[in-house]
Amino acid sequence: MAAQFLLLLRRLYLTLYNWTVLFGWLKVLYLAVQTLRESGHEHVYDAVQRTLQLAQTAALLEIIHGLVGLVRSPISATLPQIGSRLYLTWGILWSFPQTQSHILVTSLVISWSITEIIRYSFFGMKEALGFAPSWLLWLRYSTFLLLYPTGIASEVGLIYVALPYIKASEKYCIRMPNQWNFAFDYFYGTIVVLGIYVPGSPHMYSYMLGQRKRALSKSKRE
Amino acid sequence: MKVTVVSRSGKEVVKGGINLGDAATVADLQEAIHRRTRKFYPSRQRLTLPIQPGSKERRPVVLNYKKSLKDYCDGNLDYLTVVFKDLGSQVSYRILFFWEYLGPLVLYPIFYYFPVYQYFGYEGERIIHPVQTYALYYWCFHYFKRILETFFVHRFSHATSPLSNVFRNCAYYWSFGSYIAYCVNHPLYTPVSDLQMKIGFGFGLLCQISNFYCHILLRNLRKPDGNGGYQIPHGFLFNIVTCANYTTEIYQWLGFNIATQTVAGYSFLAVATIIMTNWALAKHRRLKKIFDGKDGRTKYPRRWVIVPPFL
Repeated sequence: MAAQFLLLLRRLYLTLYNWTVLFGWLKVLYLAVQTLRESGHEHVYDAVQRTLQLAQTAALLEIIHGLVGLVRSPISATLPQIGSRLYLTWGILWSFPQTQSHILVTSLVISWSITEIIRYSFFGMKEALGFAPSWLLWLRYSTFLLLYPTGIASEVGLIYVALPYIKASEKYCIRMPNQWNFAFDYFYGTIVVLGIYVPGSPHMYSYMLGQRKRALSKSKRE
Repeated sequence: MKVTVVSRSGKEVVKGGINLGDAATVADLQEAIHRRTRKFYPSRQRLTLPIQPGSKERRPVVLNYKKSLKDYCDGNLDYLTVVFKDLGSQVSYRILFFWEYLGPLVLYPIFYYFPVYQYFGYEGERIIHPVQTYALYYWCFHYFKRILETFFVHRFSHATSPLSNVFRNCAYYWSFGSYIAYCVNHPLYTPVSDLQMKIGFGFGLLCQISNFYCHILLRNLRKPDGNGGYQIPHGFLFNIVTCANYTTEIYQWLGFNIATQTVAGYSFLAVATIIMTNWALAKHRRLKKIFDGKDGRTKYPRRWVIVPPFL
């Protein structure tokens, strides 16, 4: 009896979680497109900032879901994804306002929000209804073909745009001398992150291609 | 006898099979496969018996190079099918370890002796603190000891390791080595108290000596012809902890870090501890499984796995 109750609780919680975050991303997309048409790309960030930060940071919960076993996703796949998202949201856009008016913010926000809307509605339906319609499955495993390249290009582009501001501001740097003989330079750290994108992007893309093959052939057989 | 050699997908690796004398050993078979295929030298070959379709065995039986082929034929005395897997280019452990350890041994002194910090933007004279000099001696002694042990002390159970491990392992040792060397020899390095330094290096040195003794004990567990069956380690710290060699290695790095106090050094200690703990858990479990106390075998004694009092 207790096990059944817990299973129901899990399902309720995950349904609530997925639909709430879905709503957040829908709002982000709506605000982005509306602002783009009314005021121009320079103002998109201001319009979406709070909602974007909330929706994206909420994804930290997904790491916990994976760790405690609430969901089956391996954290090895979700960690780099969430890592890069949070790095851009907080470590680049929020920390260095000079990047906020760049046109790549628009492409970034649109790529992210469409991807997340599809993803969260897919999981939201699975938790609430027990299944997801095949067209949603198709969308989930096909839109990445375009949105991964546009999203990654926007991420890399914005990081690159931010570089001179990072170097000049000396933000998040730990200098020596100190008791722990530790030094950290955010500028060089950012260069390393850019370096990770080089093998990381093809790896993620081919991982998704594999997932697509598995998911779409499985649904064909069913 | 006739041996058919197939790949895991069922394809014949050696067309027409191999004919050997009845007294042939697995080593003879490996030599023959090498002669016929040219590319696959024996240490690259992994030969197993095919898994019978109805059998519950998940892991196939690996052929031991010393045994005679007849031991693996059940009933049929004159034919055998073996499954072949190519392990990829192999490198001897001695060569692997040598290259891993050479990096830290050579790179660290570069940061100490040469004016490298000017390239990182630090001009001018560097004041060298005593702890930095002792750290250099300690570090180099450690890796020199490791290289000597590789050639004169360790007895290796599997003679080779995949070539890709050379790159992976060297990246690990050389990167961390350079990183720690950079931090400890830095012009803006802040030393700890004299007492803390002495305690750190003293303790570390004691652990290095213990570690060496552990390696000698492990060496004497194995017979020289490499007929490595598993033994219960005993003597000195092995009586209370299964992987005393890893224990002393971890504590020795702890000593170094107490004396030098860098985030770089401690993070290296953390990663090394995680890696060694994984190995230690596997070894401890394997020994407990083999020495289960049944059928006249001794039961593996209750012991710490790697780091008393935690695990």
